[in-house]
Amino acid sequence: MDIRELKRQSDLSYDTAIAKRNALEKAHSRQVVVYKEHIFKADPNTMCLVETLKKHNDTFFILDTNNNPVEITDPDEFLKVLIARNQESLNAYHQIYKTFHTRG
Amino acid sequence: MSKGVLLFCFDTETSGYHRILRHCVRLIRKNLRLPITVVTDIDTFHKIGDVGHVNYKLTSPEQGNKKNGQPWLNVDRHLAYDLSPYDATMVMDIDYFPFTDNLRQFLDTGYDFLVSRQAHDLMVADQSPRDRFSLIDMVWATILIFKRSPKSKMIFDTVKYVKQNYSYFTQLYRITARNFRNDYAFAIALQQINGFVDYDVLPIKLPTLMPECEILKIDDNGLAWKHDNKVMYTVDQDVHVLNKGVADV
Repeated sequence: MDIRELKRQSDLSYDTAIAKRNALEKAHSRQVVVYKEHIFKADPNTMCLVETLKKHNDTFFILDTNNNPVEITDPDEFLKVLIARNQESLNAYHQIYKTFHTRG
Repeated sequence: MSKGVLLFCFDTETSGYHRILRHCVRLIRKNLRLPITVVTDIDTFHKIGDVGHVNYKLTSPEQGNKKNGQPWLNVDRHLAYDLSPYDATMVMDIDYFPFTDNLRQFLDTGYDFLVSRQAHDLMVADQSPRDRFSLIDMVWATILIFKRSPKSKMIFDTVKYVKQNYSYFTQLYRITARNFRNDYAFAIALQQINGFVDYDVLPIKLPTLMPECEILKIDDNGLAWKHDNKVMYTVDQDVHVLNKGVADV
C-alpha cells in the first residue's frame, strides 16, 4: 500500500468513526423517554430490570435518571413504551450503520 | 397547563440573529409543535418579518457584554421566568435547531427545573475531556426547561443575584472567561441553591457544532457542514450551531 492509499483509508476510517459516534449519540438521545412525569433511558438495563421485576410483583419501584424513585403500577405498559423507543432508535441507527459499508 | 417555547433574539451590529431565528421557529413549529414567544427589541422585530403565528415580547436588551470583541446581547436570560407566558416553558437558544421532537416530552415531567450538563461535539471521532476552565462544571443554558413554581422562581432569583455579583463569582469559582456567560451563571445558581451538592439534570448531551464549522445547508430534516475540507451532515438529530455564519445560509 502506498502512502496515498494509506492516507485515503485512514481519512475514510476517521470519517466513518465520526459518523458512527454521532449516529450512536442520536440513538442514545432518542432512548431518553418520559413516563409518568419521570425520565428514563430505554436501554437494556431498564428493560431487563422491568422485565425481571414484573415477574415477581404487579407494582414495584425503580429509579429514574436522577435517582428519584418511581412506582410502576402498569409494568406491561411501561415495558411496551421502553421497547418501542429502544427499537425505534436502534432501527434508525441500523439504517445509518448500513451506509458505512458502502463507503469503501 | 400551558406549554411553550421562549426564544431570545437581539440583532447586533455584526450578527443578524433574526435570520437564525427563522430557521429555529420553522423547526420548532414542525417538530415540537408548541406555541412560541420571542423576546426581542423593536429594531430586530421589524427585521424578523413573517414567520407565522408567534407571540412577541418587546424589551430593551441590556448592553455591555461581548464575545470575541463583538457585542453579545445575551444577558437577559435570567428574565425568562418573568417573561414567559407559559406554565411549563422551554427556553431555547435560537441557534439550537430541533430536527426532532425529543425535547417536547420534557415539558411533561414532574421536575421544576431541568438543564443539561453535557454537549456532544459532532466534529470529533473520539471526544476526550476538554480542559476545565473553572472550579465548577458548566451547564448548557442552551436549553432550560422550567415550570412556574416557587423552586423555579428561587433558581431564577439566584441567577439574578449571581449576575449582579458576577465578577465576585468568577473569582470565587476561578472562571477564566471574563465575559458574562449564562452557562456559568446558571451553574453557579444551581450549585448555590442546591446546597453545593448535585441537582437534577436533563440526561441528554446537546449535539453541538463548534464555531470553526461552516454550515453549508439547512433544510427541514437536517444540516450539512464543512470542516477541515470535509463535508458531513446529520439528519433527524437536534444541532446546536455555534458558528453565527449560519445566519447567511
